[in-house]
Amino acid sequence: MSEEIKGKILKHDTQTRTMHWIHLLAFIILGLTGIGFYWDIAGIANIFGGPANASLVHRWTGVIFTLGPTLYILLNFDRFSRFVDTISTFTRNDFAWLKTMGGYVPFIKAEHTPPQEKYNAGQKILGGLIIAGCLLIIITGFPMWLWRDMLSSAFLALCYNIHFWTAMIMILLVAGHFFLAAIHPKSRVEFASMMLDGYVDAQVTAHHNAKWFTQLQKIE
Amino acid sequence: MSTAVLNNGVIHVSDQCKACDHCTSICPTGAIQGRLGEKHHIEIRKCINCGQCLINCPFGAIDDFSMVNERIRKALDNPHQFVVVQEAPAVRVALGEEFGLAPGTNVKNKMYAALRKLGFDKVYDTEFAADLTITEEGTELIHRVFNALGVPGFEHAGPLPQFTSCCPAWVKYAEDNYPQILPHISTAKSPQQMFGAVSKTYLAEKLSLDPGTIYSVSVMPCTAKKYECDRPEFIASGYKDVDAVMTTRELAQMIKTAGIDFVNLPDERADQFIGSSTGAATIFGVTGGVMEAALRTAYEVLSGEALGKVDFQAVRGLDPVREAVVEVPVKALGGKTLPVSVCIVTGTRYVAPIIEDVLADRSNYHFIEVMNCPGGCINGGGQPIRRDTY
Repeated sequence: MSEEIKGKILKHDTQTRTMHWIHLLAFIILGLTGIGFYWDIAGIANIFGGPANASLVHRWTGVIFTLGPTLYILLNFDRFSRFVDTISTFTRNDFAWLKTMGGYVPFIKAEHTPPQEKYNAGQKILGGLIIAGCLLIIITGFPMWLWRDMLSSAFLALCYNIHFWTAMIMILLVAGHFFLAAIHPKSRVEFASMMLDGYVDAQVTAHHNAKWFTQLQKIE
Repeated sequence: MSTAVLNNGVIHVSDQCKACDHCTSICPTGAIQGRLGEKHHIEIRKCINCGQCLINCPFGAIDDFSMVNERIRKALDNPHQFVVVQEAPAVRVALGEEFGLAPGTNVKNKMYAALRKLGFDKVYDTEFAADLTITEEGTELIHRVFNALGVPGFEHAGPLPQFTSCCPAWVKYAEDNYPQILPHISTAKSPQQMFGAVSKTYLAEKLSLDPGTIYSVSVMPCTAKKYECDRPEFIASGYKDVDAVMTTRELAQMIKTAGIDFVNLPDERADQFIGSSTGAATIFGVTGGVMEAALRTAYEVLSGEALGKVDFQAVRGLDPVREAVVEVPVKALGGKTLPVSVCIVTGTRYVAPIIEDVLADRSNYHFIEVMNCPGGCINGGGQPIRRDTY
C-alpha cells in the first residue's frame, strides 16, 4: 500500500464554484422549461405560470446562463485560458487513460491508470463538449428570441433544431457528469469539492491527478 | 351552401405550433394571437386568409382548409356532374417545384394533361377570364376618369382613384378595416369568379349542358380564393360561380396521390373557351401585372390608338409601393394628354397610408393596384413551400 498523504488541496476557488452553481441552476431551469416546450408538457409550463411565462423564464435564465460564465471568464481570464489550454492538450497519458476509460467502466479492465493533469482525459473531453454546446445553444437561442421577426423561416427552424438537439446532448453529458462526480464510488469525492468547500483530499488528488499533484508539490 | 370557410376562416394554426412567434411578424393584419412560448391562434375576424403565415411557418404548423376530399373528389366521382377546372397563371410556373423542377419552369402543358388524368371533363385556363377582368376593370377606370372630367353620361361611375379588386385578401382587408374605401374598389369580379360565372352561363350554353350539373373548380396560388369562392354574393347565374378551389400544393398532392408521373407526361393543350388569350393576362399573377394590363386597355380605348409600346416598365419591380405617371392622349378631349397617375402596392401592410390619403382627399392617384402577397400571386399562400431556402 502506498504511503498515506495527508491534507487537502484547493481545487476550485469561490468564484469558480459560484459560477458552477449559477450555471448548474440555470441549466436545470433551462432544461426543464425547454423539455416542456418541445414535448408540450403542460405540467412543466404550469409550474412557471403557463407557457408564455415559462418562455419568459427560459429566456431570462438564458441571459444568466450566458452572462454568468462570461463574467467569470472576464474576471478570471488567465485561469480560463489555462483551463482551455489544459482541456485542449491531449498527451500520450490521456490517450492511454481513454483506452481504459480511467477504470470507470466495469467491463474495461484498468490495472494501471496513467497519471493525469488537473482534469483527466474524460473531463477534458466533457469540458470541450460543454463549452461547444453552450456556445451553440447561446448563438442559436438569442436569434430565436430577439430576431425571430427578421430571420427566414428556414434559418429559424435550423436554429430551433440545433438548439434542441444540442440541449439534449448537453443534458445527457451533464447527467453522466453528475453520475461520475456525485454517485460513482471512485470519483464522488469530487462532488464536495465543486459544490461545497472547493477542497479535495490530497491523497485522492495524488492518485487521480498525479501530474497536477506533482506540479503543486514542485511549486511548494 | 357550406358556410364553414366563411365562419371559421381558411387558415388555422395546428397543435404542432412551436410557439416561435415568427408568424405574428408575417401577418399583415395582426390576426395571429399568442405570445412567444404560447401556442398561437388566428382571430378569424381579422384574418384575410392570405396564407402568408402558412408558407412562412418554420414548422409547417399552419394549415389551410381543404376542399379536395369533401368537394372536388366527390364531384369527380359523381357521374352526373360535369367538372370543369381553371388554373391561374401563377400556378403553371410553380407546380413543377413540387416535382423537382426548377422554380419558374412553365409546366402548363403537363398540368393540363395531369388534370385530364385526374378526371376533369374540361380543362380551361384562367387567362381567358383574366382578359375579361382587364377589360372590365380598364373600362371601369375609363368611366371613372370621364366622370371626374365631367364628361356627360358618366355621372354614375364611381370615384377616383380606382383600386383593383382581384385580390380577395386585399378586398377583405378593405372591408374589415376601411369600409369607407369600398366605393373606390373596382366592381369587377376577380378572374376566378368571372370564369366561374361564365362557366355556369356561356359555357353551359355552348356545351348544351344544364348549368346545375356543371361543377366549377379552380386551381389557385392563393388560399384566400377559397374564401372568395364561398362568398354568398357570387351566385350571379343562380348557381355558385366557383364550387371549389384547390391550391397549387393541393393539385400537386392530388397528382402524387393518383400516382401520375408528372414530369414524363406528354404535353397537352387547354380546352378552348373562345380563342386565345392575351399576354396581359399572363402577367396578372405578378405585382404590377393587373395595373399594367388594365393600363394597356385604358390607353388603347382612351387614345383610340393601337398601343405601340406595350411595356410599362415604370410599374414593374418589387418595391412594396411603386408609382408612375403614364401620359395618355385622350381622344374624347381632342387628343389632349392626360397624365394617369398610378400606384402599385404589394403587401396590404403598406396600403393603410395610401387609403388614408384617399379618404382625406390628399391622393393624386387615379388607379391603385393592391396585392396582398409579396411580389403578387406568384408568392401566394397556396404555392409550393420551399423550406430549403435561407
